[in-house]
Amino acid sequence: MPEGKSEKKYVPEISEKELQELRETIKVNSIKLMNEYLERIRKTWPNRPENMKYFDEIANFFGVREKEIREAKDEGKKVIGYTCMFAPIEFILAADAIPVRVSSGFYDPAKVGSRIVPVEVCPIIRSTVGVKMIGLSPFLEYSDAIITSLTCDGMTKLSEILSDYKPVWSLCPPRVKDADQAALFWRQELKVLKENIEKLTGNRITEKKLSEAIKKVQRATEAFRRLQKIRCGPPVIMGRDAMLVNQTIMWDDIERWTMKTIELCNELERRIQAKEWACPPDAPRIMITGSPIFWPDNWKLPNLIEEAKPQGVIVADELCSGDRFLYDPVGVDEWIMHDMFNAVADRYLLPSTCPCFTSEDGNEDRVNWLISRIKERKVDGVIYYIYRGCMLYAMEYMRIKRVLDKMGVPVYYLDTDYTREDVGQIKTRVEAFLEMLKSRVEVEG
Amino acid sequence: MAEIEIIQNIIKALIIVSIVLLGILGILIWVKDKTKKVSYLRLFIQLISVPLIFLGLIIGPFGLPQYPPVGNAPRDIVIGTKIFGRPFPDGLPVPILACWYPSGRTVTCPAWQMQAYVYPFWREGPGFGWGVLYTTPGIERLAIVIGLVVVVALLLGRFFCGWVCPFGLYMDLLSRLRTALKKPYKSLPKRANIALRQSRYIIIAVFMILSVMLGAKDILGVELIQGTERGGYLYSYLSAPYCQVCPMRPLCVLAEVSIGAMNATFVFSHTTGIFYEAGYYITSINMIVLAITTVGALVYRRLWCRICPVGALTGIFSRFPPFKRVSLLRINKDEEKCTKCGICKRVCPPEVTEVYELKGGDVTTSACILCLRCIEMCPYEDCLRLEFAHKPIFKSRNWLEKT
Amino acid sequence: MIVAGLDMGVQNVKVVLLRGGEVISRNLVPSGFNLREAAEQALKEAAENAKISIKEIDHVTATGMGVDLAPRADSTISMISADALAAVHLHPATRTVIDIGAEESRVISCDEKGVVLDFTINERCAAGAGAFLEAMARALEVDLKDMGYLSLEAQGTVSISATCVIFGESDVVSLIHKQTPKQEIARAIYDALAERIMSMIHRIGLKPDVMLVGGVAKDIGFATTLRRKIGLDVIIPEYPEFAGAFGAALYAVNKARREKHNGQ
Repeated sequence: MPEGKSEKKYVPEISEKELQELRETIKVNSIKLMNEYLERIRKTWPNRPENMKYFDEIANFFGVREKEIREAKDEGKKVIGYTCMFAPIEFILAADAIPVRVSSGFYDPAKVGSRIVPVEVCPIIRSTVGVKMIGLSPFLEYSDAIITSLTCDGMTKLSEILSDYKPVWSLCPPRVKDADQAALFWRQELKVLKENIEKLTGNRITEKKLSEAIKKVQRATEAFRRLQKIRCGPPVIMGRDAMLVNQTIMWDDIERWTMKTIELCNELERRIQAKEWACPPDAPRIMITGSPIFWPDNWKLPNLIEEAKPQGVIVADELCSGDRFLYDPVGVDEWIMHDMFNAVADRYLLPSTCPCFTSEDGNEDRVNWLISRIKERKVDGVIYYIYRGCMLYAMEYMRIKRVLDKMGVPVYYLDTDYTREDVGQIKTRVEAFLEMLKSRVEVEG
Repeated sequence: MAEIEIIQNIIKALIIVSIVLLGILGILIWVKDKTKKVSYLRLFIQLISVPLIFLGLIIGPFGLPQYPPVGNAPRDIVIGTKIFGRPFPDGLPVPILACWYPSGRTVTCPAWQMQAYVYPFWREGPGFGWGVLYTTPGIERLAIVIGLVVVVALLLGRFFCGWVCPFGLYMDLLSRLRTALKKPYKSLPKRANIALRQSRYIIIAVFMILSVMLGAKDILGVELIQGTERGGYLYSYLSAPYCQVCPMRPLCVLAEVSIGAMNATFVFSHTTGIFYEAGYYITSINMIVLAITTVGALVYRRLWCRICPVGALTGIFSRFPPFKRVSLLRINKDEEKCTKCGICKRVCPPEVTEVYELKGGDVTTSACILCLRCIEMCPYEDCLRLEFAHKPIFKSRNWLEKT
Repeated sequence: MIVAGLDMGVQNVKVVLLRGGEVISRNLVPSGFNLREAAEQALKEAAENAKISIKEIDHVTATGMGVDLAPRADSTISMISADALAAVHLHPATRTVIDIGAEESRVISCDEKGVVLDFTINERCAAGAGAFLEAMARALEVDLKDMGYLSLEAQGTVSISATCVIFGESDVVSLIHKQTPKQEIARAIYDALAERIMSMIHRIGLKPDVMLVGGVAKDIGFATTLRRKIGLDVIIPEYPEFAGAFGAALYAVNKARREKHNGQ
C-alpha cells in the first residue's frame, strides 16, 4: 500500500503546510527537551561513566542512528518497525532488515493524535498516531512495514490507523497463553509473519541466518542481563542511565549495542571494586511497574524519583520498554528450523508479563516476576505507574497491591498522562513516598 | 593362573573407572556451552553404561555359554566368583539394566523377574521352573526383586531411565540422527501422553495376569490354556509374556551376538512353536514392536519411555504416595523465579508438562526420566534444581554467561 | 528552644510555634496571590502573638504544596509525614489519618511512632477535596458554614455525582430546579465527597483509630457523614486545620535537637 494513494480510513485531510509547521515546532521542542533530560541525568550523577556517552548519542532520535538507518535504507536494506515486544526481532534480523520500536514517547504529538483518537485513550497510542501524522519520528518514517500486537484495545485500533500509512502486520497474542491451542495459534501467527517479512525483504530466513540471529540476540541478552545483575547491588549506576541503555536497544544496532553494554558493565564492575557509588547507598531503592515509559519525552517519573529530596534510585522496572525487553533468552533445544522457530515463538509469548493475559491465577507471571525482582534487587518500594486510559494495568493494580502488601513492600499508585502540567503534583506524591520509605528504612535499621 | 586373571580384571576395572572419570572431567572442562554440558555428560554415561551393563563382555573370559539359560553366565562368574569369591545368587536385579535373555541373570530387568518368579518358582527345588538349578528359592527371589526395585527407585527414582538405560540411549541416538537430518520432531497431544502414561500400569497388570494364566498348570495345577504345560509348545515362550513383546530384547540379543558373547547359530536355530519365525530369543512380535518403536522414536522423542512398564514400576515406587515422601531424588521448582517461558516443557524428551504446569515445589512425576534437560536449559538462576535428600546438587543458571 | 512549623497551603498559610514541645502560638493567613508574602506575614504575626522576635526561632520546617516558596525553611517535610506525626502526637492510638484540605485530600496509614506505612492522595481533580464543598455551597447559594447544619436536617436523600466540580455544580442546579429540599441536596453533597474519601480509605485499608484533620474537618456536616460511612468514631482534634503545621513543628523539634547534638 503506497503512502497517500489509497483512501484513508481514519486520517483526516490536513494541509501539508499545517503538518510542516507542527513538525518543525514539535521537533525543535523535543530536541530541546531531550537535551535537557540528558543534561539533568548528567547533573544528578556528575561522575558518569565514560561509556554512557555512546548511549547519550544513540538516544538522540535525530542524530547518528537516524543517519545510519537512512544510509542503510539507501543501500536497499529494509526497516521493520514494531509497537510491542511481541514482535520477534530474530526474524527481522535473520531477513537482514533493521528492527526499530516505534511506540512513541513524544509528548506534544499526543495532542495532534487527539484529532483522531479520543483523549480517553492511552497517550502512547495518541502520541504514536500524532507522530505518524506529522512525520516526527524518523524510525517510524523509515519503517517499510510495522508489526503491531493486538494486546490492548488501543494497540488494536492503532494498527488500523497506522495501516492508513504503511503495511501493518498484526500479531494477535492469545490471551490465555498457557493453553495448548494458544501455542498452536501463536506459532501460526508467527509463521505468517515470517512469510511476510521474507516477502518484503526478498531474503529467505534460512536455518543458518536464523540461528545467527538468535545467537546475536542471545549475546545481547547476556549483556543486558549482566547490566541488570549489576543493579542488584549498591547503586553503582543511576536508574535513569540504566533505563536509557535498556531503551536504546530498541533502535540501535544490536551487535554494537552489545559491545558497548559489555564495556559499560566492565567499567561499572571496576567501580564496584572501588566502591564508587552513583548515589548514597542508603537511598530508597525504587521499582517502577506499569505502563511502558518511552524515551525521549516521557522521562517525567524517572527524573522526579532520582532528583527528589530525599533522592531515590530506580533499581528495577517491570516495563516492556525496560527490564522486560531482553530479559528472556530464546532457548533452542535442537538447532534446526522447526525447533528454532518454536523457541522464538515461545520466547515472545510465554514469559510475557503483559496484563493483556489472563489465567485462573490472575496473571501470576507478572506477580512472580515482581516478587522475584523485588527480592533480587532489594527493592524498598514500588511505584505503580499508569497512564490515563491504560485499562489493563490500572485494573491489575489491586491484584498486585495485595501481593506486595503481603510481602510488606509499599506500593504507590501514580496515574498521569503525556503532559508536563502535573509535574508539581506528582513531585509531592513521589517525595512523600520516598520520605515514607526513607523513614521506614531508618526505623528498621 | 586364576590369580593373574583376577589381577588382570582388577586392572581392567581400574582402567574402566579411570576412563569414566576422565571422560566426565573432560566434558565438564571442555564443553563450554552450558546448554550442552549435561547432555554430553549424559550421553557419555549412557555410552559407557552399555558395556558396563554387559560387563562380562569386557572383563573375564569370553566363554560362550553352551546352553544359555543353564549354568553360570560369564558375568556371574566374573563379578561373582572372580571378584567377590563366590557366585551371586542369581536374579539380583537392578532396574532397567540388562535383559535376562542374552546370557545371564545376575543383573536383570525387573519386568522379567516379576513375571518369571510368578510363574514357575512358587515351588522350590530342582526340577521346577525350566529345569534350571537355582540357588535361591522363588519367594526369596521375588522378595529380593521387589525389595531392590523399591530401594533403588526410592534412592534414584527413574534416574536410570535417563542416564543408563541402553534402550533410552538407542532412542536418544535416533533423535540425534533425526536432528542431523534436519527433520523436526512431533509432539503427542497431552491427552495421548497421559493415556500412554496410565496404560503402563494396565500393561503390567495384563502381563502379570497372563503370566499366572499361562503358568496355571504349575501354579494352580490346572491347565487353563492348552500347550502351556511343561514341555508344551507354548511353554517356553509364554512364561514371561511381556518379554515376547519388549522391543529391548532383540537389541540386547543382537548386541551380544555381534560381539560374540552369544552364539548366533544357537540364537537363531533354537526355534519351536508359533513365535519361532525369528528364533527363540527374538520373536516376531519383538521385532514388530521394535520396528514400530524405532520409527516412532525418530518422530517422537523418547517414545517408548512414555509406555515402558519397567519405567512405570520404578515410577510407582518413587512418585506415588507413600513412596513419594521418602524419595530422595527430585526436581524442585521455585515458583517465584519461574517466568513460565516454556523452555522446560519444550525440551523435555518424554514431553512431561508438569514441570511447566505445576506451580512450584516438587515437580517430578512418574513420567519424568530425570534426564535434567529442563534444568540445563532453564535460563533463570536457581529456578529449577535437582535435589538429593532436599540438598540441591544441580541448579538452573543463566546459561548465557560463559563463565 | 523555639521552633516553627510552616504549612504552605493552597488557600491558607498556617504557622505553629512550639517552645519545649508546647504550642505558644498558632496563626492562619490566607495565601492570596503572593504565597511568600503571606508566609512572611504569618510567621511575623505568630511571633508577635507569642511575644518573641522572629529571630529567636531556632528552626523552621516547611511543608505543604507551596513548600518551594517558603521564606525560611531549615528543613522540609511532606504533608503526609507531617500529618502522621501530628496525629499520633495528638492521639497516640491513631492509625489512619484523613486530611482534607482545599485541593488535596490524603488518607494516611501510620504506626505508633508516626511512621507512614501507606498513603493515598486524591486524583488530580479537586472534586475530592474542600474546593468541591465550596463550589457546591456556591451553587446551593448557602454559606459554607451553614451547609453542614443544613445537611443534618435532611429527611431523605438524593444522589449527585462528584467526579468533577463543574458537573457537580450543574447537578446541584438541576436538583434545585426539581424543587428538591436544600437539606437533602446538602446531605447529598457530603455523601458524594465522603464516598470519594471512602474509596481512598479502602485503597489503603481502614485501621482504627481514625483521625480527621484539615480545614474540612471543622465542617460538622462532613464529619457526621464520614462517621456514618466508616461506622467508627472519627476523632477530630481541636485545631484540625493546623495539623500539618503542627506536624512540621514536631519534626522541627527533632531536627533542631539532632542538629544541636551534632553541633556539640
